[in-house]
Amino acid sequence: MAINLYSTPTCPWCAKTREFFKKNKIKYKDIDVSSNKKALQEMFKKSGQMGVPVIDVNGKIIVGYNETELKKLLKK
Amino acid sequence: MKKKIKDLKQKINQYDFIIIGAGGTALAAAMYAARLGLKTLVLGSTYGTELPIGGVITTTHIVENYPGFIRLSGVELAKKLEEHAKSYKEVTIKNEKVSEIKKNGNCFLVSTENKRNYVGKTILFATGTKWRKLPDSVKGSREFENKGVSYCALCDGPLFKGKVVAVIGGSDSAAKDALLLSEYTKKVYIIYRGEQIHPEPINMERIKKNKKIEIINNTNVIEIKGKNSVESVVLDKPYKGKKELKVQGVFVAIGHIPISDLAKNLGVKLNEKGEIEINHATSETNIPGVYAAGDVTDKPFKQLITGVADGCTAAYSAYQYITKNKILTC
Repeated sequence: MAINLYSTPTCPWCAKTREFFKKNKIKYKDIDVSSNKKALQEMFKKSGQMGVPVIDVNGKIIVGYNETELKKLLKK
Repeated sequence: MKKKIKDLKQKINQYDFIIIGAGGTALAAAMYAARLGLKTLVLGSTYGTELPIGGVITTTHIVENYPGFIRLSGVELAKKLEEHAKSYKEVTIKNEKVSEIKKNGNCFLVSTENKRNYVGKTILFATGTKWRKLPDSVKGSREFENKGVSYCALCDGPLFKGKVVAVIGGSDSAAKDALLLSEYTKKVYIIYRGEQIHPEPINMERIKKNKKIEIINNTNVIEIKGKNSVESVVLDKPYKGKKELKVQGVFVAIGHIPISDLAKNLGVKLNEKGEIEINHATSETNIPGVYAAGDVTDKPFKQLITGVADGCTAAYSAYQYITKNKILTC
């Protein structure tokens, strides 16, 4: 399962998402879009969002920290 | 046997003090309640806002008005408050959202969204507030949410490097957002509907000295325009001869709405703003055994430092209530 977390270092919801992944022992790639312009464009292209966190679970996009949605997608 | 197990389960889920919300106020109240020997349960990642434990202070970039720390980040302060509360064995923090609170004999039955029940001798509402959103009358405010319209400068500010943004609002929070955004962006407009923005004097001075920040008072944003993301805002009166201002981001800081629905359903008295009315000396509400503290209350000065004080007062009042009324079990 490929999981990308588009985040900024200062965002509390991103920290919460990281905590969720850590607690559930889920491997993911943390992409800091504040220092990576290409990744920021990629996030915008995928999600149409200019707000973090954006989570890409196998191509399915979750916007913001949404534990219910995350659990649902990770079960699949 | 079955009855014994049921009684045991009930005992495990029985607390002296149940705190609804897990922000700074809640954590401080938990710490103090534990010192008074109260078995305490903290429920919720601040109900209604989805914020992490620590609550709204986690969205503040730098905190400079909390004694003992000259300057630290909101996230760091929240972590310290959480660690402090957790250092007491009497405190349990659960990341569960409360769905209902009912009177249950001389105690209260608290149900959570994941179908768990807890019984508390006393209750503290430390549910805080959520951001007030731009009204629907501002065209484009919903359409461009997270597409340039943001309610968290700390989260999304770094995405606007080298761009021009607007902050809507005139409070200290708006000023702090503008100061933070000026670290990333080329220019920040503060657009405020009132006569003069009103941050704390220390932040007003910083704003005045900051060459990237421009204040537009007595003006409303009536429309947010763009294609895929924000490109401009339309003002209700011209600024420097133009009604349309080119910006790529709009950060909204127009106040907060108290999260008091659960309290209201229990019969707790609210004021016309939806804030919980409390005795300012004791943090008591109109219902015996029910307290409120922090941003959700009718106290006018809302800072973490004041919320923390009220939370500790509530813990002490709960302790007195339990001992005076000799509530041994529920």
